[in-house]
Amino acid sequence: NGKIEWAMWANEQALAAGLILLTGGIVGVAGQFRDREFAAYSIAAGVFVCLLEYPRGKRNKGTSVERTGQYCFTVCVKSFGPLTRNYYVRAFLHAAICVPGGFILAAVLGCVCLGIASLIYLAAAIRGEQWEPILPWKESARKPVGESIKLPPQNPPPRPPAEMRRKRAEDLEAAAYVNPIAVTANDD
Amino acid sequence: MALSVRSWVANEGGKHLVLVLWLGANTLLFMRTFLLYYCGQQYHYLHQMLGLGLCISRASASVLNLNCSLVLLPMCRSLLTYLRGTHTVRSRKARRLLDKSKTFHMACGVAICVFSVVHVSAHLVNMVNFSVRYSEEFPSLNVARYRGEDPRLIILTTVPGITGILLVLILFLMFTASSYCIRVSNYEIFWYTHNLFIVFYIILIVHVVGGALKYQTNFEAHPPGCLRANQTNPDKTEEESGQAEGDGRSCREEARFQPNSPETWLWVSGPLCLYCAERLYRYIRSNSPVTIVAVVRHPCDVIELRMLKKDFKAHPGQYIVLNCPSVSSFENHPFTLTACPTEKKETLGIHLRVVGDWTERFTELLLPDPGAESEILPMVQQRRYPKLYVDGPFGSSSQEVFNYEVSLCVAGGIGVTPFACVLHALLDGWRHFRLRRLYFVWVCRELQSFYWFAELLCALHHKLWKENRPDYLNLQLFVSQTDGLQNISEERYRPLSSRLMIGRPRWKLLFEEIGRTNKHKRVGVFCCGPKGISRTLHRLCNSDRYSGTTFEFNKESFS
Repeated sequence: NGKIEWAMWANEQALAAGLILLTGGIVGVAGQFRDREFAAYSIAAGVFVCLLEYPRGKRNKGTSVERTGQYCFTVCVKSFGPLTRNYYVRAFLHAAICVPGGFILAAVLGCVCLGIASLIYLAAAIRGEQWEPILPWKESARKPVGESIKLPPQNPPPRPPAEMRRKRAEDLEAAAYVNPIAVTANDD
Repeated sequence: MALSVRSWVANEGGKHLVLVLWLGANTLLFMRTFLLYYCGQQYHYLHQMLGLGLCISRASASVLNLNCSLVLLPMCRSLLTYLRGTHTVRSRKARRLLDKSKTFHMACGVAICVFSVVHVSAHLVNMVNFSVRYSEEFPSLNVARYRGEDPRLIILTTVPGITGILLVLILFLMFTASSYCIRVSNYEIFWYTHNLFIVFYIILIVHVVGGALKYQTNFEAHPPGCLRANQTNPDKTEEESGQAEGDGRSCREEARFQPNSPETWLWVSGPLCLYCAERLYRYIRSNSPVTIVAVVRHPCDVIELRMLKKDFKAHPGQYIVLNCPSVSSFENHPFTLTACPTEKKETLGIHLRVVGDWTERFTELLLPDPGAESEILPMVQQRRYPKLYVDGPFGSSSQEVFNYEVSLCVAGGIGVTPFACVLHALLDGWRHFRLRRLYFVWVCRELQSFYWFAELLCALHHKLWKENRPDYLNLQLFVSQTDGLQNISEERYRPLSSRLMIGRPRWKLLFEEIGRTNKHKRVGVFCCGPKGISRTLHRLCNSDRYSGTTFEFNKESFS
């Protein structure tokens, strides 16, 4: 069935890979590896990936579960527009981050994990998925009530033109009416 | 609401005791292994070369051994059903612990991930130290081939290194697909990645065979730190020479080293064989297909399915897992039984709500669209039902309803299914159970939902009235959607319409009423419904009560 959303799994993987990069970098710096400066790259890459991937995207169908406190991250990530919405961009970004890291001992595992996440993002992008921010539901503006309803009518209802109102001499039957009060002619 | 110590201990005590024991076992194992490598004479030279990384990596490895073996046990569902159902486990308290088996599995899984991170980090440091502190004095101790060998090369050219990388990758895939979010939305990803566990275990057993870490076999004859004749130690600093044991004494022999014998397979093979046996048993048991006897459509998207299966025995409250190859070959879905086979009626029944694509497709195969029926076909028509496989029955917490003197069953919507089976069992005979009073609260969003079991409820009500036990069943029905005129108008469903209330139940008042009328008793609370209701009930069970009644909370949850 074609309802699987791969992007959600790729998001979890990328977040975990970011944490692994961060941990690897810290171990590299603390354990006094030979290439300590490159361990710093691992820490920086890890932090960046975590910040990018922390806000979860909206599901196509069903309710989306937010991560705690992700609203401010959502706003930041949303502000980059199509760069963060498109999953092709994310796939290539993660691939670009992970390739140099593969040469650093402390970042090796994080980079392999990030590489897997990048592949899954590519699969998601090929299937047309997109990142939608989870925003709090705003009350949709109600249709404004027409101004004319509030005031009573100012003008009388429209009437047909004067010619039609005048009684016609040629059609005496239609023009005739019965007087409610008897009319008597003056005899004098 | 104030927390009562007595209620809290009754509800949460067992779980927390198991948690404390498990944490204690892990801590003990970690400390013991750590001290062994820190102080042990046979590891002295290795410790000198690798430092703290050795102790931390070995200690975390032993914790990983323990958790990798424990993580499989809660998933042997047939075994747990057997322990629960046949009262092999005498105490009800111990049986309640079985409800939390999935939580224990997750705790062990998290421990495996955390300690894997520790283990890998420590081994990374070890790799660097193997390379930097290459020992010319004891060449057999080395894993690097020459001083200054690139640590990445060491990882890629040794068996423990490569298998370690593969293990981390598999664990990464399994762990990232197990979050709550993914299980709820894309269950297949979770299921397929989690089944990689067998590859994980096979590679794990190969991982420890490498024999990279060696211990000294002859520390009696060669006390660590002793000086050999005609040899000075230019590398040693003042403090190191001062601390080494046997300093100044001459050695009788050269140090000899032997690799550690792997003990992971001792830990892991037992539970792994048990779990594989369990899966095989479940596969064999579920292989006989079932005959579908009747399919009934109920209001609010619910279908009742009646089936016949040979040699199928179940208790009320248990659930089965359905597999329909025509819909999807690998998907298995759990459904609680609403009717167990008895001597009078041999069919088993389930009620399923059409809510996802599997259930939709399944319903299409069972019931054709009413509009699609052709007039030309004869009335008597061979109905071709799809082939169906049933695995189970598996135990759940609702089986305990009969073992309390007073029980409160709260159902939300379709969550009424385990209790429907309980009511069927009471209809057959209520005297021989320990249960003396049942409070049944059913909350639905729509009025039509009550028609699923209206017959059953009224039949039980009439039977209890006839047998002069009207207070046995205390029925309360709630319709939570408050708009529109709602009433059950049929005459034969009078017992239901007179007990129908509009709006949501007030749980605190209900608990107080139950407490007042059942003083100093232990009441079993069973909930099968939305999270909001079960959280509220759980909180109420843990809180203060003035009538001396203890409420024990049992939550139904599917895996």
